[in-house]
Amino acid sequence: MTKIDLFKLNKSDYIAAKSPVLIDIKEAIYLVINGKGAPGKEAFNDAVSALYAMAYTIKMTRKKQNKGDYVICKLEARYWSESALPLNQIAQEQWKWQLMIRTPEHVENTDIDQAAQALLSKGKTASVGNVSLGKHHFGPCIQMLHIGAFEEETRTIDQMYTFAATQKLSPSGEHCEIYISDPRRVPPERLKTILRSPITPT
Amino acid sequence: MAIYLWLQTKLILMEYAIMRTVTQKSYLSRIVKTLNYIQTNLDHELTLEELAKEANFSPFHFHRIFSGMLGESVKELVRRLKLERAAIELQTTSMSILQISINAGYESDMAFSRVFKSKVGILPSEFRRTEHARFPCSSKACIRYVTSGHISSFEPLQIKECKMNVMIKDINTMKVAYVSHQGPYQECGHAWDKLCSSLATEGLLGGDAKMLGVSYDDPDVIPAEDLRYDACITVPNDFQVIDDIKVQTISGGQYAVTTHIGSYNNLSDTYRKFFGQWLPQSDYESDDKPCFEVYLNDPESTEPEDLVTDIYMPIINVSQQSPAVKENSND
Repeated sequence: MTKIDLFKLNKSDYIAAKSPVLIDIKEAIYLVINGKGAPGKEAFNDAVSALYAMAYTIKMTRKKQNKGDYVICKLEARYWSESALPLNQIAQEQWKWQLMIRTPEHVENTDIDQAAQALLSKGKTASVGNVSLGKHHFGPCIQMLHIGAFEEETRTIDQMYTFAATQKLSPSGEHCEIYISDPRRVPPERLKTILRSPITPT
Repeated sequence: MAIYLWLQTKLILMEYAIMRTVTQKSYLSRIVKTLNYIQTNLDHELTLEELAKEANFSPFHFHRIFSGMLGESVKELVRRLKLERAAIELQTTSMSILQISINAGYESDMAFSRVFKSKVGILPSEFRRTEHARFPCSSKACIRYVTSGHISSFEPLQIKECKMNVMIKDINTMKVAYVSHQGPYQECGHAWDKLCSSLATEGLLGGDAKMLGVSYDDPDVIPAEDLRYDACITVPNDFQVIDDIKVQTISGGQYAVTTHIGSYNNLSDTYRKFFGQWLPQSDYESDDKPCFEVYLNDPESTEPEDLVTDIYMPIINVSQQSPAVKENSND
């Protein structure tokens, strides 16, 4: 049986270009978990850990049940806050986020419940209970690869927004990031992150 | 007071440096001892156990230390020394080429001639006629067959290039669930599938669960189909055996840890450097238990060049009197 790799099957959604590009992303299914707090801090890391534990538990359980195999996609995150100010002017502790892992359509809610129960029975983080299956439709977006520390994203974002303006478009909705490299291991200057922002005509 | 402290520090450092040279010398002399043993017993099948015993290294790590320091495996060395001996026999004896071929471990003079020509550039018969012909030295460590019967020293591979980041860690004994695999390391995926799917239904993936691989054999010397490997995942102490998943413990203690970044196919390069170059220059001895690897990302969704693997080498301090300095890197 062939292994589904959504990251490769939807290559055009994950273009990692060195200059801004316009893309249109269709509705897709994700495993999601929501939370609040600075990225890389306790609540965030706990959510990442819960999301991955669920993702792998669901995948391997389905595989054991002969329900097909697939590759676990890269971690994506959408960020926002309750304030009207741009995110970089708000303390990171106030950031809200939704962590997402794109998942094949045939994964069902019963898979989620089973996985959460199994993990909870072995004393894994209670946050696994907050992981759910959700649809999201990004629609038209502007996207670009950022290489370097997360703190330096502004320079890439500025470039994206400038480009958007020339196209008579403006950013609308939550800033999204797709983590290509593993921040625990890759030195900050070599980190690869796809930045994505939904847009609307001005 | 300051001068006293400075002197004391200096003395400790000197002691440390001297000790380090002593360790390195000990590795060299043990390998030299093994080289002579190999040369003396060129015509006997040598087992890993007897070689490791001769060198006083753990059989788990002997091959890696050997090929890491010499740039060739025991098997390659034996084959080469036999060819060099054959070259000498060609020029100094009247033995038939067929007999020389058989002495060198070949079934026929044709096979021998082909290999000989590929190394020397001319056929054995021409070599015999050419008085000044010499067998070229292809050993990176300058080891040659010696007629006097005694190899006195060799040049270990490029020690100054050894810039490895190595951490010394004390780890606790870990209980792991595992599935064994025998065959090429690249084909261990099925063992992982079996292990992961059995543990997944039990809720044992994720969180602190670490994915470890124990490779018992050096792929440079052991045929691919005989390589033994255990795919392991750490489990809680109260783990109950499920399906036909087995349980074992990875013993705790002192380990030297280095990180390999890149494809799993190149792991043995890092092992060779770790054992052949870092270890002989350190103040440690490899302990008599296998190494293990910890996989830090998912090979399915990660490009091979971005894969991160920590290699754990079990070690013991060579001398109990060594200063309690923990080295982070070796340069």
